[in-house]
Order: sequence, then C-alpha cells, then structure tokens
Amino acid sequence: MDLLDNYKKAWVNQPEETNKFSALEIYKLAHSKSSSIVKWIFIIGILEFVLWSCLNLVMPEDFYKTYKDLNLMTFIDVFTVFHYFIIVAFLFLFYKNYKRISLIDNTKKLIQSILRIRKTVKYYVIYNLAMVFLISIIVNITMFSDSDKLMKTMNPKNLAMDINQVLTITIITQVLVLIVILVFLWLFYKLLYGILLKKLYRNYKELTKLDHLN
Amino acid sequence: MQKDLETKFLSDFEKNQNIAHKICRVYTTNNDAHKDLFQEITIQLWKNYSTFRGDSKFSTWMYRVALNTAISLYRKSTRTLKTQDFSDFAYKIKATDYDDTEERQLESLYKAIHQLNDIEKALIFLYLEDKPYKEIADTLGITSVNARVKMNRAKEKLKNILNP
Repeated sequence: MDLLDNYKKAWVNQPEETNKFSALEIYKLAHSKSSSIVKWIFIIGILEFVLWSCLNLVMPEDFYKTYKDLNLMTFIDVFTVFHYFIIVAFLFLFYKNYKRISLIDNTKKLIQSILRIRKTVKYYVIYNLAMVFLISIIVNITMFSDSDKLMKTMNPKNLAMDINQVLTITIITQVLVLIVILVFLWLFYKLLYGILLKKLYRNYKELTKLDHLN
Repeated sequence: MQKDLETKFLSDFEKNQNIAHKICRVYTTNNDAHKDLFQEITIQLWKNYSTFRGDSKFSTWMYRVALNTAISLYRKSTRTLKTQDFSDFAYKIKATDYDDTEERQLESLYKAIHQLNDIEKALIFLYLEDKPYKEIADTLGITSVNARVKMNRAKEKLKNILNP
C-alpha cells in the first residue's frame, strides 16, 4: 500500500469542523465586506484614473500661458477633447474587465482575467506618460524652432541672458523632471501592485510551467 | 425571488460548509486566518450563487469557487501569525472520539501540506477528496496530462516531507 493511502484514510476519517457556522452567521458573513485582491486592484485602478485626471485640473493658469505664448492653444483644446474620449474608453475597458471576472472560471482563466484588469490600468498609465512625452516634444520643437519666442517664453522679464544658457537650463530641468517622475512612478507601481500581484503571478507561473515544456 | 435564493443558498452552504473549513485548514495555519478565508469564501459563494444553475451538484460548484478564492483572491491579513499554530486544531480533534494513530497522521499530513505551494495544495486537496483527474484539470484550467504530471510531483514532494 502506498504511503499516502494511509494518510488519505486519516483524511477521509477526519472529524467535521466543531465550530460550524449557523445559517444566521453565514448570512452575516455573506453580507460582510470583501477584502479580496480583485477588490483592491479595482479600488487602486479607480484611484489612478482619478489621480491622472486630476493632474489636468490642478495645473495652474500660468501653465497654459506658456502654450498661449507659443500659439499652441488650438492644439491643446483638440488634444483635451481627444484625451477625455480616451479616458472614457479606458474606463469602459476597465469596468468590462472587472465585470468579466468569474469565480466559476477555472483557476488559470480567473488569474488571467484578474491580470487583465491590471493591464488596462498599466496601459492607461503608459498612454499618459506617452502623451506627456509627445506634448513636451511638440512644445520643445515649437519653442526651439524660434529663438525669439523661446527667449520670450523662458525669460519673460527680459533679463540679460545668453541663449545658450537658457537652452542648457531648459534641457537639464526637463531631463531632471522626467527622471524624478519615472523613479517616483516606478516605486509607486512596485509597491502598489507588487504586493498585490506577487501571489497571482507565482500561481499563474506554476500553472503554466508545464505547458511550455510540452 | 431574491429571498428564496438567499434561503436556498444558506441551507445549501450550511450543509456543505465542511468543504470550506477543510480548504481553510489547508490554506491557513491559525484560527484568525481560517476565519478570514472562510469569510471571503462565503462572500464569493454568495456573490456568485446566481451562476450556480443546479445542473451540477452544489458541492462541485462550491469546490471550484472556494478553491479559486483561496488560490487567487485571498489576501493574507497582516494579523496572520507566521508561526504555525496547531493547538486549536489539535484540540478540536481530541474533543471527539478519534483513533490515536489517525489523529497523529492527520496532524502531520496538514503540517506537510502547509509546506507546499498554492497549486500543489489544491492538487493534493482534490486528490485527498477523491476527485477524478478530469475534474482536477478542469478546476485548475490545465490539461489532464499536465494535471497527472503535476499531481505525481506534488505527491512525491508530500511523501518526502512526510517521510524524509
């Protein structure tokens, strides 16, 4: 007889749980708040949508003055409409993926669906970063293509400054800001999702490990 | 309608709750965590109850939802102790009329299972519950062949822990 057969016998004969819940207790438990991974991913995802959307709203008026000086207001208006359209599309996808999660799917499919919600948020963040990048390139090209305009924008009080100095300062500031934002975001995501998704990734890897060998 | 559904759910789950308790014993090592996981399983079972059509047995449907909760949804709460606390469990068993050898075997079996990873735990649990390979493969979303290979490895690992 196999070693495990003995243990299986002990398993089958194990006594029922002594602390069983009554129907009333089960009712209370069923209506309590879930603290599942999915719920947290959903909440954090919503917070990220809010955070990125708020960034547009909290921008000071002065910020737009730069665009005005550069005659880029039409571009910004068109872009804003486009941007809101994209946000709605992302929110729709996010909600659809959340709704798609079903506990009666098999484990592998379930984990895939959960990771899909997370992916929607990830693409949303990448989209935002790409847009920040794109806009700064457009602004820079407009600025640097006209040195008079550049001096006027970067040095509105008309202080005695060398054009090369202005150029260097502008570029260094922009690179620094970009690095700080990237490092901040990296830490943010590592912490936020790393803890939540560690278990899911590990289990998913375990489920797919053999598939790759076959 | 909702009320009827709820009454039916409560009676179905009350009768089958031992399955959930066993899953909690497999995936947690102390009473607080056991209760946490049991609560999450109850929430998920009720939330998904409308998908239970009654063409399969309630217990079959429940195995899947409860295991999925333990493997994919459950977050170990911060108050979960790292140390393995078996005193509660041992007490529960002693309280009943129970064969001594089997009692010790069951305790070492649980101790050994706790050393496996989440997927291996599911495989071994379904094996101990005498589920056919087809159902095991369907539950986890892997092919029957893979289920067999994985099961053999999990069993070997468990045997090595039980009898080093």
